[in-house]
Amino acid sequence: MSKQADKAEKATIRVQDLKKSFGNRQVLKGISFEVWPGETLGIIGPSGCGKSTILKLLCRLIPADSGEVFTESDDIGLVFQAAALLNSLTVRQNLALALRAKRLPKDVEDAKIEDTLSLVGLAQFIDSYPSQLSGGQQKRVSFARAVVYQPKIILYDEPTTGLDPVMSTVIEDYMIQLEDKLRAASIVVTHQHSTWKRTASRIILLHDGEIVWHGKPDEAETSDNPFIRQFVYATRDGPMATV
Amino acid sequence: MQEPVTKTNPLLTLEAWFTSGIRLIGTTVSLLFFTVRLIVMGRIDWPEVMRQCNMIGIKSFAVVGLTALFTGFAMSLQIARELVLFGADTAIGGVVALALIREIGPITAGVMLAGRVGSAIAAELTSMMITDQIDALHVMRVDPVEFLVVPRYLAGMFMMPVLSIYAMAIGLIAGIQIANSAANVPMATFLDSVKQTILDRDFTVHFIKSFINATIVVMFSCAIGLSTRGGAEDVGIATTRAIVWTMTMIFVFNYIVTSLTYAPR
Repeated sequence: MSKQADKAEKATIRVQDLKKSFGNRQVLKGISFEVWPGETLGIIGPSGCGKSTILKLLCRLIPADSGEVFTESDDIGLVFQAAALLNSLTVRQNLALALRAKRLPKDVEDAKIEDTLSLVGLAQFIDSYPSQLSGGQQKRVSFARAVVYQPKIILYDEPTTGLDPVMSTVIEDYMIQLEDKLRAASIVVTHQHSTWKRTASRIILLHDGEIVWHGKPDEAETSDNPFIRQFVYATRDGPMATV
Repeated sequence: MQEPVTKTNPLLTLEAWFTSGIRLIGTTVSLLFFTVRLIVMGRIDWPEVMRQCNMIGIKSFAVVGLTALFTGFAMSLQIARELVLFGADTAIGGVVALALIREIGPITAGVMLAGRVGSAIAAELTSMMITDQIDALHVMRVDPVEFLVVPRYLAGMFMMPVLSIYAMAIGLIAGIQIANSAANVPMATFLDSVKQTILDRDFTVHFIKSFINATIVVMFSCAIGLSTRGGAEDVGIATTRAIVWTMTMIFVFNYIVTSLTYAPR
């Protein structure tokens, strides 16, 4: 086995030649990548290019047409774009639901919930309902719910979209803190420049169902690749259609 | 989400409607199978069942009572008017009670539950679908059927017979009042006629209809809610669809049970 193949075998997330269509439209045309422990992969690209579809495939929410999706663990934390908190449950109950499969003793469960909420600065809202929280607070609870069981894989779907710049920075700080604490393999899907620049160790740029560029965040700004240049500098002129 | 019908040919529209109906019935039957299996396995969240009993049952008492009262008034008035003409006023209680226990009680409770609860379940689950809450449950490895459908189904099965009997009792009270005021039949005569007419089998059929109605309301509403995709508009479509399907099925199955149990041989 080659050194590179051996390395790929040890990845926490491995995606190989992944294809997915919705009706006649092929959203993913053979995507491959790996994510290792303690690393955050940024997936960037224009709206509708298949970024969120990759997350759904990784969580087995939808089946792939072909290709391989390997995740080292079934414990996956997903931070949804729209928080997706259960409105009929309190913040505590939302987090408890995430721990349900673990069947922990009540005192251990309570301690984990309180610790995680403290981490995102929302301990005082433990018995509030999602409707009583602001958008930013809901996102932080969603974040807490995704990490309360300390998963080995954390997926973020547009974690800072729709938030003000200060709250975006707060969320990005939590992501960085967690990467240090949990050593999880993470994927962040975003088109917010500051988010991928601050949180991702590597990024891939998707366009029309294919990876058109990959590299480190710093390299994105100096690359000659026309796709990444158009994306980073937000220009109309370039290979990515603006229809 | 219901598939948009873009073809103008009425036959094709009918075909699309028929296909979507068959698909919904299939989804509902398989959802019922998985729900019953989870109940048999003992995977029941009892506190949530109690909460749903309150939502589905306790909060329906006022609307079911009011509907049953006025249905009882109207029906008793019609029956009293005809029986008095034939000098059979002492039989008013029996006839009113028969109508209530065999048809009006289960139907009134079922229809009101379909309108109040079926629509709410469909709207709630559809909203959960379109805001990714159901996906969140899958990611957390929480079975949505166990978490959402089982408590609602059990609550429906517990509360529907209670509501049906309650509707019947309210209807009888309305009957006593009308018999007394419109035909001068004393309460004792009315109740004596009820006792002589009602058989144990009537109660059995009454409960069978109640259980079937509960199954129809909860299962169709959950199946519609959990199979809807799209946006805010689809919440309204799903709600309407749930009411139409549950009410239609209540009347269809009511007739089937009546024909199997009371048809002349």
